[in-house]
Amino acid sequence: MLNILAGIGIAFFGFVLQTSVAGFNRKVTGRIQKRYGPVWYQEFRDIFKLFTKRSVTHGWIFDFGIIMALGGTIGTAMFIPLTTHTLAFAGYDNFFIYVYLIAVGMLGMAMSASGSGNPLASIGVMRALTTMLAYEVPFMIVALTIINLTGTSSLTEIALMQQGQFNWFAIALPLGGIVGFISLMGMLGKKPFETYVAPAEIASGPMVEYGGKQLGMLLVMHELSVFIEVSLFMYLFLGGAESIIMFLIKYVLIYTFANMISSVNGRMKIDQVVLFFYKWPLIMAVTQAVIAIYLGWVI
Amino acid sequence: MMNSMNNVKEIISTVEKNFDLLNHEIIDKYQVSLIVNKKEVHHLLVFLKTNGWIQLSYLTAVDWIEENEFELVYIVFNWDKPVHIQVRTRIERDVENASMDTILPIYPGCKYYEREVHEFFGIKFPGNPDYHKQLILEQFDDLPPLRKDFDPLAYAERKFPKRDYPEKFVNLEGKESEQAKRDITHERVEKLRTGGTKK
Amino acid sequence: MKSTKFTNYTAKEADAKWWEIGNYFRRNSIWMLMYCTGCGAIELPPAMTSAYDMERLGMGPMATPRQADVLLVTGYLSVKTLRRIIYTYEQMSEPKYVVGFGSCTINGGVYFDSYAVINRLDYYIPVDVYVAGCMPNTESILNGFVDLMGMMKNKTANGWIKYHENYEWYKANQIQAVGEVHVHDEFHE
Repeated sequence: MLNILAGIGIAFFGFVLQTSVAGFNRKVTGRIQKRYGPVWYQEFRDIFKLFTKRSVTHGWIFDFGIIMALGGTIGTAMFIPLTTHTLAFAGYDNFFIYVYLIAVGMLGMAMSASGSGNPLASIGVMRALTTMLAYEVPFMIVALTIINLTGTSSLTEIALMQQGQFNWFAIALPLGGIVGFISLMGMLGKKPFETYVAPAEIASGPMVEYGGKQLGMLLVMHELSVFIEVSLFMYLFLGGAESIIMFLIKYVLIYTFANMISSVNGRMKIDQVVLFFYKWPLIMAVTQAVIAIYLGWVI
Repeated sequence: MMNSMNNVKEIISTVEKNFDLLNHEIIDKYQVSLIVNKKEVHHLLVFLKTNGWIQLSYLTAVDWIEENEFELVYIVFNWDKPVHIQVRTRIERDVENASMDTILPIYPGCKYYEREVHEFFGIKFPGNPDYHKQLILEQFDDLPPLRKDFDPLAYAERKFPKRDYPEKFVNLEGKESEQAKRDITHERVEKLRTGGTKK
Repeated sequence: MKSTKFTNYTAKEADAKWWEIGNYFRRNSIWMLMYCTGCGAIELPPAMTSAYDMERLGMGPMATPRQADVLLVTGYLSVKTLRRIIYTYEQMSEPKYVVGFGSCTINGGVYFDSYAVINRLDYYIPVDVYVAGCMPNTESILNGFVDLMGMMKNKTANGWIKYHENYEWYKANQIQAVGEVHVHDEFHE
């Protein structure tokens, strides 16, 4: 019972952290574009504003899909380790749990977007799933390389094996670190891989028929999934965190860096995204796997 | 430049030989206007199309209300010898009888132009299968609007209610009128400029 | 498409004390629908981008009417556009606001004697804030938005409640000008 409460606490902490960091990053984007941005708690105001509006429903699949997506994402966030010693469910932080449970979130959103009956939503969902197909392959190759090198697939163990004088996997497997970061940007849906949202092109893709409370729940789900993905990247490549302070510092740095790269790029088309991910990142990931496993050249 | 002037003159002479040209006018070195009878328009357009004027740029009408006639204008364009040719005819301005056979077999792109001319002037185009369908104006129940005996102000006042301002102006905060001060200054400037007398 | 438990709000309910918390969130994060009808839309890009930044007030552009709070009617409206505007306005989720730009929404502007342009937007959908000018300056537009936020704070931005209460009057006006509010598209029928 205590585990579940701790898990819900971690999910809530992740939500608050990510919303603040997202608001802070809107200010960073604004400063890059030579203007003032909004206040740092702007995302909170957006989400709560959406909860006070009345919404329109299109049937029970529409509502149920959103609830399923939100529930799946909260369930995944409960398993994230905050530091290498603070876990809600000790022993259950396997890498494949996250990969499996993230799919529940995507599936829920796809189900409810198809239930809305708008053809633009179907286009957006198809693009989202195609993007997922594109970035998962190089990412899984690098993640499996890491799992093979460390011999375990538990996140905290992987983080503990990277302690030492800058023994992080981002530096030990440099190509793998770059591929991991590019895949992270695909996962977060940042430009240049923002095809599945595409505000002016397909009228924001899967979110086209949401308004009011459903959009609020969708934004909460988005924030939690960003929290999960950035934490995953941090534990796999940057050595996890020994204390909460290090966790916060690393989290803010990763997300701000990804945001700064994305704010100066345009948006790619969907076939360009797939071609891009299957060219250089795949080659780099395979090369990295061959070097690390068969030749053993780890820095 | 000499080339296009020669082009234009050559066009006029060719057309004059084969057709009954009522009048012609050279507007500038890239535009010429030929005025023909209503019966000859189709032959002239077929002749022009087979000689390179393959694009119909515009089709419209002019309302000469004093002479009681409509004037149809066809503007065709050639991409090799860049000359715009306007073919103009006069047709009668009767509300029921204003009609002109369609040129859909010659230039298929005239489908929407003829719809627009029918909607705005009332000219019928027998032969065009849907020239009477509504294109732009919705809920319209008056004369075709580009005729010169149509009164747009009366139509707007009938259909779209206006906002009524019960007073001509509202003096908030009890200030004096800036416009009155400006009028005094202007009058003084005028007097100074005209040497004491106001022209 | 039905809304969940669609009951009408009355003006008295919207005056309740707890509504003020909702008003705080609503006025600090207004999402506008980028539906730019007439020539007044040229003044929106300076307001959205770095020159006169709109995002520091919390406003942002959104793509579809279901996600937006504010419908900006910028400029003149012909009968065709009016039908689509009413269609869009009824798709937005409540509470919703309308801002009318330019003189053409107030009394017809330079097109007051035209056979195709409506003269007064108030008769067809309820408008909360008018910004006068032809076009209004970008600072006037931001001033209009700040006025809208002030009206939300004082609980006087009640256009959507008035639409519910006087629905028959609005509907009669709409039918008189536009016919039925259903979009017949020649290419899809």
